[in-house]
Amino acid sequence: MSELVNVTIDGVEVQVPKGTLIVEAAKRAGTEIPVFCYHSKLDPVGMCRMCLVTVGTPVRNRETGEFEVDDNGKQVIRFFPKPMTACTTPVSPGMVVITQSEESIADRRGILEFLLTSHPLDCPVCDKGGECSLQDLTYAYGPGVSQFYLEDKHHSPKKEPLGDLIYLDSERCILCARCVRFEDEIAGDPVLAIDNRGRNSKIVSYSNPKFDSKYSGNTTDICPVGALTTRDFRFGARAWELESTPSVCNLCGVGCNTVLNTRFDEIKRVMPRQNEALNEIWLCDKGRFGHHFNGSQNRLTTPLIKKNGQFEAASWDEALALVARKLELSKEKTGGVAGAHLSNEDLYIFQKLFRTVLGSNNIDHRIGLNANWDDQLAFEVGAGVGTDIGRLKSESAILVLGADLDEEAPVLYLRVRGSARRGAHLINAGGRWTKLDNIAEKSLRYRYGAESALAWGLVAAVLDEGLENKDFVAARVDGFEGLIDAMKSFTPTRAAEQSGVSEDDIRAAARTFAKAENGVVLYGLESGGNESLQAAIKTLLLITGHAGSANNGAIAVLPHANSRGAADMGIVPNRLPGYRPVEGEAGLSAHEMLSPDAPLPALYIVAADPAAQSARYKAAIEATEFVVVQDLFMTETAQLADVVLPARGTAERDGSFTSVERWVQAFDNAVSAPALAWADWLAFTALAGKMGASWSYASADGVMAEITQTVPLYAEMNFDNLTRPISLERKMSHYIYSGTSFTADTREGLQWRSVAEASEAKMPVAFIAPADVPPAEGMTLVAPRVLYDGGTLIAQAEVVSAHIQPAHAVISRKDAAQLGITADDSVTLTVPGASVTVPVRLNGLVPQGIVLVPRNLSGFPAEKLLGSKRLTAVKITKVPVAELA
Amino acid sequence: MIKQAFGGTYQIMRGMGVTLKYLFKKPVTNQFPDEPVVVYPRFRGRHVLKRHENGLEKCIGCSLCAAACPTQCIRVEAAENTDENRRSPGERYAAVYEINMLRCIFCGYCEEACPTGAIVLEHDFALAEYDRWDAIYTQDKLLEPHQPKYIQIRDDEVFVPQDTWRVNK
Repeated sequence: MSELVNVTIDGVEVQVPKGTLIVEAAKRAGTEIPVFCYHSKLDPVGMCRMCLVTVGTPVRNRETGEFEVDDNGKQVIRFFPKPMTACTTPVSPGMVVITQSEESIADRRGILEFLLTSHPLDCPVCDKGGECSLQDLTYAYGPGVSQFYLEDKHHSPKKEPLGDLIYLDSERCILCARCVRFEDEIAGDPVLAIDNRGRNSKIVSYSNPKFDSKYSGNTTDICPVGALTTRDFRFGARAWELESTPSVCNLCGVGCNTVLNTRFDEIKRVMPRQNEALNEIWLCDKGRFGHHFNGSQNRLTTPLIKKNGQFEAASWDEALALVARKLELSKEKTGGVAGAHLSNEDLYIFQKLFRTVLGSNNIDHRIGLNANWDDQLAFEVGAGVGTDIGRLKSESAILVLGADLDEEAPVLYLRVRGSARRGAHLINAGGRWTKLDNIAEKSLRYRYGAESALAWGLVAAVLDEGLENKDFVAARVDGFEGLIDAMKSFTPTRAAEQSGVSEDDIRAAARTFAKAENGVVLYGLESGGNESLQAAIKTLLLITGHAGSANNGAIAVLPHANSRGAADMGIVPNRLPGYRPVEGEAGLSAHEMLSPDAPLPALYIVAADPAAQSARYKAAIEATEFVVVQDLFMTETAQLADVVLPARGTAERDGSFTSVERWVQAFDNAVSAPALAWADWLAFTALAGKMGASWSYASADGVMAEITQTVPLYAEMNFDNLTRPISLERKMSHYIYSGTSFTADTREGLQWRSVAEASEAKMPVAFIAPADVPPAEGMTLVAPRVLYDGGTLIAQAEVVSAHIQPAHAVISRKDAAQLGITADDSVTLTVPGASVTVPVRLNGLVPQGIVLVPRNLSGFPAEKLLGSKRLTAVKITKVPVAELA
Repeated sequence: MIKQAFGGTYQIMRGMGVTLKYLFKKPVTNQFPDEPVVVYPRFRGRHVLKRHENGLEKCIGCSLCAAACPTQCIRVEAAENTDENRRSPGERYAAVYEINMLRCIFCGYCEEACPTGAIVLEHDFALAEYDRWDAIYTQDKLLEPHQPKYIQIRDDEVFVPQDTWRVNK
């Protein structure tokens, strides 16, 4: 605990840590000092001068150094002759602040009159009207009339696109630079700046494309006026007309809390809901603008049955009766694929349907390039309950391994970046440059395929230098002696040879990680996540003592909204809910189910589109006799189905998701669904009913009530707990300086405890030798993940269509020069058995010998080339111009 | 008995006298709608959405009328003007403007809230409909021109300017 000082603010004495700014101290004292440029998440700049207050300090006698007292025995306070900015002045002992002095009020009136000299006062048509700081503070402090001439008002264009998602109205701008500072400090995308001087000052973006940031929507939230507004919400509704429903973003695994603002049963905008443990007050543009799939015109609206090759509308009763009849025949040979977009309740009922009614373990949620990823680390040594990855400081180390957080989990990137800014030791290990390298203390550039060699190298370096946490090892680690023996042959030198990272770097990184008080490992899709890597991360965490407590452990950056929940709910062929192994034989994985050589008699595919991903899957689905698809849209897979069932989107039902940090969070129903669309769990329940089961779930929380009984990890996760309002203390700390009208005081969710936390038992460690990957000859194909991919849901949001990346390949400039390829060319990528032609992009930051083809783009080039492999050697040839024409 | 008979006759005569008096007076019955109805200028009747002189709508779709409305009978949905489709000056116009006349209490708060003077409670009062749904007045019905023939505005109302009230007393 840092030193506390006493200050008096408007007669209220408060104790605050030394170095606290007056504006924050005033918040503790229950006084709100008006601000425009200050924002508690940004560094103070003192640009707007709105927070001027009168400040005094106790007078000391120059000779004795004692505080001087007056005749009544009270300390003499000497007030500074000029007003001070509360947002940049830290408190000092005994400081006296008067926020409502006559001078301050006059100052504020003057500042407001000045700010309004060129303000258009078009509040009636402004999207910020009703949640605008300038409006609020003008009512509170402003003059009723202006002394300036109306004709002298400064005019500028009303609607300038700052990027393709954000409009700038520079008449309304008060030049607080919150947006510029957000992009610089929080997002690390320095794409905005203030151009020109004086009256002609204006926010500009010089990046190409303009305002090239995945976080641009946040600038509209923190803008204290209506200068920045979104294209999506433009004139959508007035702020006070909107209804707010707490929800959880379903477009990646971070689990950002959102508010769905609706009017007339339509989602008008999505706003971040403050949750300091998860997304703070931020939301990426995909989450903010990607909600349009809910109200899309292309939704499935009725069950369909294929008759003579044509879909015909049917009732649920007919469709389910047909499905039940067919599944009765296939029984334990039925295969089930459930996408990880589904809620925990859906997934639980899905596996229950398969395991109890059909007697089949053939269920899986992983298809395509994610098929081999089976994360167990979170269950064993997951980051402890209460981990706050965004608030780590210099005593902590964060190791990011094979994850491009900016693309895979944007808000997690913001938080890791925030920690790194506050001094946390960030080690970014990756096969290529990622945005976190900008701020990482150490960047380790390994050879693709040698991730586990690097991870074991870190373990070897820790052991070699004797940096293991001896107390923790003695208390909690089993098989440590065996590990030392097994690793004798695997030295840091060997790891350096295998991984391509220098030994010094490995040793330095290991030292940083081992010596830190707290250590978190984030590992992502590009790391491959094989058994050896997982064992290495687990060993590293256990021997350094970074397991089983808050701010220590592993986080797997999984691809989908509920990938964590799908693993928890046992949507894998080899495990039951709660990571218990299946009794008897494991079932088939999705990759085995979708095999054209040995098709199953029936498939039930929910919220997944395997047919689009590869020809192999498509052939398998065509070869399958009976296919049921349950989805929001008529996907390529659905077109091959015999029965198509319409499902409900996230906003049209309630349920819960589990984030990658194991936060289980409930979301509510905000808008009504197409009349015949059912929540997925309801469809499964009704089907089970047709097949003789007598389940009586009436709601998602009813399903969750059963999960709390049957899955020990989720014992606390009933909806009463998940939707419990946050504490008053938390609510108080949530206050943010901006006039947004959404409230953040609803709920937070709960985290479940990993094995390392839940028990005191010793945990085994064992060396699994990493596969030795020799440097590849020629080019290696890597499929990273990008935020704006060709996903089914994001494709429905017209507003972000300009950001959705078309199929392309990225190579380094050096390779391009050698191969004679220029930025306008297309290339043909060939692997044995497949070949695709895509436009090429050149990037100086991509390592030589690597071809990046992002996964899940339209046409699925990466999936076609890789099959189920992670990396492959690829032949690259330039396409002659004549052939393209 | 006789006194009673005379007294009764007197009363009847008196009553009939009143009838006789009104027989020669101008009738107060207004032959609505064949004859115009005369109302005071400040009478608050049916709403009209005003236009600028150049024909553009005054309404900018700001929804402040709906916010001020105590019975929540106004619904506004805004949209953006384009050069091809310009409905109002400035950026924003009302794409949907509806008033539920069954709910409206003619308080005039909407008129007071309107920043552009677009909505005005004028003098039409004949708002009966055969169907409840027809009582939801849409934008095309509300927009100018709306001048019912059966309304005449009195011109003899004396306005007392607000700031002279105290002096006159």
